[in-house]
Amino acid sequence: MEALVAVMIAVLVGTGVYLVLRARTFPVILGITLLSYGVNLFVFISGRLAVNQPAIVGNGPASDPLPQALVLTAIVIGFAMTAFLVVLALRGQGETGTDHVDGKRDDGGEG
Amino acid sequence: MEHLIIAPILIPAFAGMLLLLEVREHQPLRRFTGMLSVLALVPVALALYQQAAGGEIQVYRLGDWAAPFGIVLVLDKLSALMVLLCTALAVPALLYACRADDKRGANFHALFQFQLMGINGAFLTGDLFNLFVFFEVLLIASYGLVLHGRGPARVRAGIHYVVLNLIGSALFLVALGLVYGTTGTLNMADFAVKVNQLDGGALELARIGGLLMWVVFGLKAALFPLYFWLPAAYANATAGVAALFAIMTKVGVYSVARVYGLAFADGALAGLGRDALWVMALLTLVLAAIGVLGARRLGEVVAYMVVMSVGTLMAGLAWATPESFGAMLYYLIHTTLVSGGLFLLADLVARGRGKLGDQLVAGPAPAGRAGLGVLFFIGAVAVIGLPPLSGFMGKVALLQTVPAPLYWLFLLGGGLLALVGMSRAGSTLFWRATGDGAERRVDRPRLAATLLLLAAAPLLAIWAEPVLRATVAVAAQWAQPELYIDAVLGGGV
Amino acid sequence: MTLAILVLLPFLGAVLPPLAERLGASRTVLSLSAALMPALALVLLIGPAGAVFDGQTVHALVPWVPSLGLELAFRLDGLALLFALLVLGIGLLVILYARYYLSAKEKAGRFFAFLLLFMGAMLGVVTSDNLLLLVLFWELTSLSSFLLIGFWSHQSTARKGARMAMTITGMGGLALLAGVLLIGQVVGSYSLGDALASGDAIRASGLYPLILGLVLLGIFTKSAQFPFHFWLPHAMAAPTPVSAYLHSATMVKAGVFLLARFYPMLAGTDLWFDVVSLAGMITLLWGAAAALFQHDLKGLLAYSTISHLGLITLLFGLNTELAAVAAVFHIINHATFKASLFMAAGIIDHETGTRDMRRINGLWKYMPYTAVLAMVASAAMAGVPLLNGFLSKEMFFAETLESGRLGAMSWVLPLGATLGGVFSVAYSARFIHDVFFNGEPVNLPKFPPHEPPRYMKVPVEILVALCVAVGVLPSITVSGLLAVAASATLGGDLPAYHLSIWHGFNLPLLMSVVALLGGVAVYSQRNWLFRQYERLPEINANLIFEGRMQRLVRAASALSDTLRNGSLQSYAAWLLALVALVLLVYLSPAVLDGQRQLLPLDGVSLLAGAMLVVAALITAILHRHRMTAIMSLSAVGLVVSLAFVRLSAPDLALTQLSVEIVTLLLLMLAMYFLPVRTQMESGWPRVLRDMVLAVVIGGGVGVMAFAMMTSDFQSISGYFLDNAKSGGGGTNVVNVILVDFRGFDTFGEITVLGIAALGIYALLRDLDLRSASSDSLGRPWARDAHPLVLVTISRPLLPLALLISVYIFLRGHNLPGGGFIAGLITSVALLLQYVASGVAWVHRRLPGDYHPVVAVGLLLAGITGVASWFFGHPFLTSTFDYLYWPLVGKFEVASAMLFDIGVFLTVVGATLLMLANLGKLSMLDDKAKEGA
Repeated sequence: MEALVAVMIAVLVGTGVYLVLRARTFPVILGITLLSYGVNLFVFISGRLAVNQPAIVGNGPASDPLPQALVLTAIVIGFAMTAFLVVLALRGQGETGTDHVDGKRDDGGEG
Repeated sequence: MEHLIIAPILIPAFAGMLLLLEVREHQPLRRFTGMLSVLALVPVALALYQQAAGGEIQVYRLGDWAAPFGIVLVLDKLSALMVLLCTALAVPALLYACRADDKRGANFHALFQFQLMGINGAFLTGDLFNLFVFFEVLLIASYGLVLHGRGPARVRAGIHYVVLNLIGSALFLVALGLVYGTTGTLNMADFAVKVNQLDGGALELARIGGLLMWVVFGLKAALFPLYFWLPAAYANATAGVAALFAIMTKVGVYSVARVYGLAFADGALAGLGRDALWVMALLTLVLAAIGVLGARRLGEVVAYMVVMSVGTLMAGLAWATPESFGAMLYYLIHTTLVSGGLFLLADLVARGRGKLGDQLVAGPAPAGRAGLGVLFFIGAVAVIGLPPLSGFMGKVALLQTVPAPLYWLFLLGGGLLALVGMSRAGSTLFWRATGDGAERRVDRPRLAATLLLLAAAPLLAIWAEPVLRATVAVAAQWAQPELYIDAVLGGGV
Repeated sequence: MTLAILVLLPFLGAVLPPLAERLGASRTVLSLSAALMPALALVLLIGPAGAVFDGQTVHALVPWVPSLGLELAFRLDGLALLFALLVLGIGLLVILYARYYLSAKEKAGRFFAFLLLFMGAMLGVVTSDNLLLLVLFWELTSLSSFLLIGFWSHQSTARKGARMAMTITGMGGLALLAGVLLIGQVVGSYSLGDALASGDAIRASGLYPLILGLVLLGIFTKSAQFPFHFWLPHAMAAPTPVSAYLHSATMVKAGVFLLARFYPMLAGTDLWFDVVSLAGMITLLWGAAAALFQHDLKGLLAYSTISHLGLITLLFGLNTELAAVAAVFHIINHATFKASLFMAAGIIDHETGTRDMRRINGLWKYMPYTAVLAMVASAAMAGVPLLNGFLSKEMFFAETLESGRLGAMSWVLPLGATLGGVFSVAYSARFIHDVFFNGEPVNLPKFPPHEPPRYMKVPVEILVALCVAVGVLPSITVSGLLAVAASATLGGDLPAYHLSIWHGFNLPLLMSVVALLGGVAVYSQRNWLFRQYERLPEINANLIFEGRMQRLVRAASALSDTLRNGSLQSYAAWLLALVALVLLVYLSPAVLDGQRQLLPLDGVSLLAGAMLVVAALITAILHRHRMTAIMSLSAVGLVVSLAFVRLSAPDLALTQLSVEIVTLLLLMLAMYFLPVRTQMESGWPRVLRDMVLAVVIGGGVGVMAFAMMTSDFQSISGYFLDNAKSGGGGTNVVNVILVDFRGFDTFGEITVLGIAALGIYALLRDLDLRSASSDSLGRPWARDAHPLVLVTISRPLLPLALLISVYIFLRGHNLPGGGFIAGLITSVALLLQYVASGVAWVHRRLPGDYHPVVAVGLLLAGITGVASWFFGHPFLTSTFDYLYWPLVGKFEVASAMLFDIGVFLTVVGATLLMLANLGKLSMLDDKAKEGA
């Protein structure tokens, strides 16, 4: 199981890194999203893996609750950031007339 | 007043919330609320500094949970100094923005307050994950502020700033995962203790975690090769925002100082990344000086001066002696206030030149040329580090305490390049001007805000001794992490 | 204390002239206000001066920055006194002169302010008893010189000259600072007295060559020594009073002053001799020769100044005490005759409108009185007997004969000295003959010239009178001052010397005679020489320097632009490359030393994992196909949620799932405005580079994850499990952490959400996307109507979803759920209405502005936190009790629940603020398109 989770994290982070390095806003948004999936999982597993042990008092052995709380926070913050980025991409489109991350127009002009 | 320590976070937070309730966009009321908040911060910050200067480290246990389990705020001399500095910068920056810039987009005042909340939170928190949260608070607010106003240039710079920092946030989380996954704690003091009990693979992972933190903080601080976003973002931001941002890079510097001082000054990972920070700092210093020389706009000149100061500071930090750290803090105060003032001044000049703005090409004389010229001269002398102003004192202090030939060469050589760049800029803007803008007046409150910040240059020089003594005292406390750790963990380590 | 006040006075005085100007004072009153403080200072100087002549050194010390070793420490010894007299005396004369020199239009207030600023700085340099203070004043002289050279800022030459001078002297100043700091290191103090007493230690130190180099760099740049001499002629763009004062009499003397000041500390070594005397000799000859060929009156004087500064430097370099005495003597003499010559040149310029010696001829006829004054001063410059220049030049010739350092090559020194003398006579002759005789004026801008106003001549008269007085009666006039100054320079007893006009027939006299005759001979051949000179390629230092500077600036711009190339891709690559570097260097197999028992892998998990991998790869590969990418991204999100379920994190799964849905909605709404396909952008090298980064970082993080998962660790989380129920009143530990243990994080986090909503609102408010129905390549926008199925399903869903939210919220403290998740579910339900039924439909039923909802949510959370203060607890301390509710049964109510309601409201408000406004945008767009 650990190896599988590690591979998942690796793939998520890897694809995220690849996509944030693209030149258009849309893939960058995708990349940031994938990257945060991977990173959230990474923080999550810093409490080690446990199966069928939710952190509820009185249910026997429990998984590490702290990373879960951290990841919950991180997910919400990540959502806020992604939303902002998406709208910023729109704004970029509106002001520069292109979806290039540098605001470069495809006709060569500056937006 | 035991709760005073949280006031620098809560005052702007509540002000921001109240500003959201004010839905009719009644600008005077918003300005009043915003100014009231920053002015209320002044006595608070002073009182906190006074308190910290006594030498006791105050620990505030949020939710009444003991460290390392709950989150703590920690007021030591360093955090008190940073909060005070932030407040000193915020008042004039907001005053300046209140003259019209705040109307150029929605929600300016709320964003400004939340920005302050984030910065102060980052300075006060004693918990690494909470530091992440406050980083996010200050970042998301800064995204809004960077983009405040219109125009493609601002949006272009904004996209770069946002995306890079989003990547940075992801990296911070990886670092935090490593921190927790190896030491099982998030409290800074506890981390400092536990990291020294690690060995084997866990120690190696913690090392990478620490280095990733340096990368993240280096991005905030704008160290080479992570400063490229800064000149465009700062030069295109609204003046009040750019002025406030003069402290944003220092949040990065502070974070390195805090974590390094606690966890990596000594012990298993002693000197973690010091050499790398040193090299990056020197490269930043010289490349930013070249940037100053080659800049095409006054805003860019000042922005590169900010980057240059980061190199100067980070080298002083990487030298990592209490003496160099004390000198570095003096320089930090100086550069934050003076470059904030210069951002405002650049805007005043741009306003007086019509369409040309702050571009470094000959054009009409800016309105109020003589007065602005004097201010520019003072600001330039200070920021370059020429006598008799604060920059000179800071540089001498750093040169005395960081006796490394390469640093001397780069600091002095960089100063020369900056001198050439600044004198070209000033000569183009004020001397090569056609016509005289004497009839048009400079807006008084804007001028007052600029003066407030630039006044730091002579004042910090005249009272260099008390200020230096204070920063040296801060450094002495910083150099004894056990004081901090004992205060947080109650001595029961 | 008098000393400190003395130095302060000119600085105070700098305020007066602008003030007088503002008050509308006449030019005379204005000038008087400028002269007031220097005059006062001169009077104040009398007292301490007496003490100095009695052989004492007067000290004053005001503490300033002891931490840095920087003190307001002043000392007045003979050397300082001499220079203070020069600075104040000539300064006063220059103020008088400038009263008539500046035209009525010019901003005299500013001019005098700058001049007084300089005067104070220069006075500071010469009286500093602290090395750092000395550097401080030193740089101030450069700064005030910059302002004065650039005074006529509308002239390009003035601006360039000012910048050049600033750059060169600024560089020297920084070197001097470094040198002084090193001296401080060696001596252990920045007190000048200590440093002077530690000469032997400094000379013995390994740092000595470096110190000497740095200090000399400062001196040579300031005193325009070869190869830094070129800025001085271009500083002549300044108004002539400035040239007379700064650039001949005082500021450029700061360098040679420092040679004198540091003489006991640094001199006496072979290195000193070699460097100082060589630089001096080259400068002497170069300046003298170049002076002859200048057609500009001030240019001639500037090069002559360079030459004389070289002479003084050479004397100090000779390492003999007598030479040092001669040097000090020549400083005095040069200041008097050169300042008067500059003033005369200024008068001529003033009266004729030009400084070109090819046009100014025969002025004897028009202004004989000025002519006499100028001729006397020129003769002094040439070293004609009975004038002061002769005396020091005789001493100079004598000293060059004495030095034995060069061994068999010793004849070089007197030869060079004589040659310098020859040229000196030649250009002096040119100054006299070309200007006052040599036929008639040619095409003068102002004609006919006449004598200047009476009082404009007074300063010249005084200085010329001094030249004569010293020249004729040296022992009465100057010997006392020279003696104290020289003994202060040498830091001890004076060698035996004798100031007199006649020393008998000796070699120095012969050299003088040769110089006089040779000079006249050279001058007589001037036309031939000028023709030869004109054949040489023209060297304009200003053009060269400015050209180099511009090249430097362009290179700097180019380098900056290469690094900061405006490409986010490259910035991000730098950042990620740094991360990759960290991983490559520090991530070793050693991290995989964990002993933890691994969990078994089951088929379902494997399948889900494989799905995630495939979906993520599809997203990456097919990112240009927008719909596909979004779908596969959602699949990834789904699997992540499932992973959380499987790995005992139900709260996370719920959160992830609801966030996933909201994000999906957001992307769908946003896509409406973005091109449906993304351009293929990157070439193969970049794709390859990015793949490498992706593999290194992804792989590295994966390895680290594996390393962590496979190793045991100690953590603080046991505490949370133990205390959640007893201390936090809930059994769902994750939720208790969120609202209680780490409620502050949550407070920050909902603030982030709220701020994001604000920022998004601000971004969207005045956004205009309507015009852009296709992008610049003509790719059309996606368009879709509100699907009917969605409408019919979503409306009844709303109440159901709200009910679920309440349930989720209430159970959150004990079972998976809580404010976040409830808030997100509510938002999703509401948003679904936007998507399904359109913005207009929703807005008829719900408030349009969600700002207050966010605010109330945050306030609720914040106030809950503050409330604990009233119970004497820190922010966000929770309290709880148990209530029995009908139907629900025993139910625990914690103050943290109020906090959680705040969270709920913020989440709902923020999410809707973001998406509703985005939706509104699309509505506007629809209308626009329908209208069109």
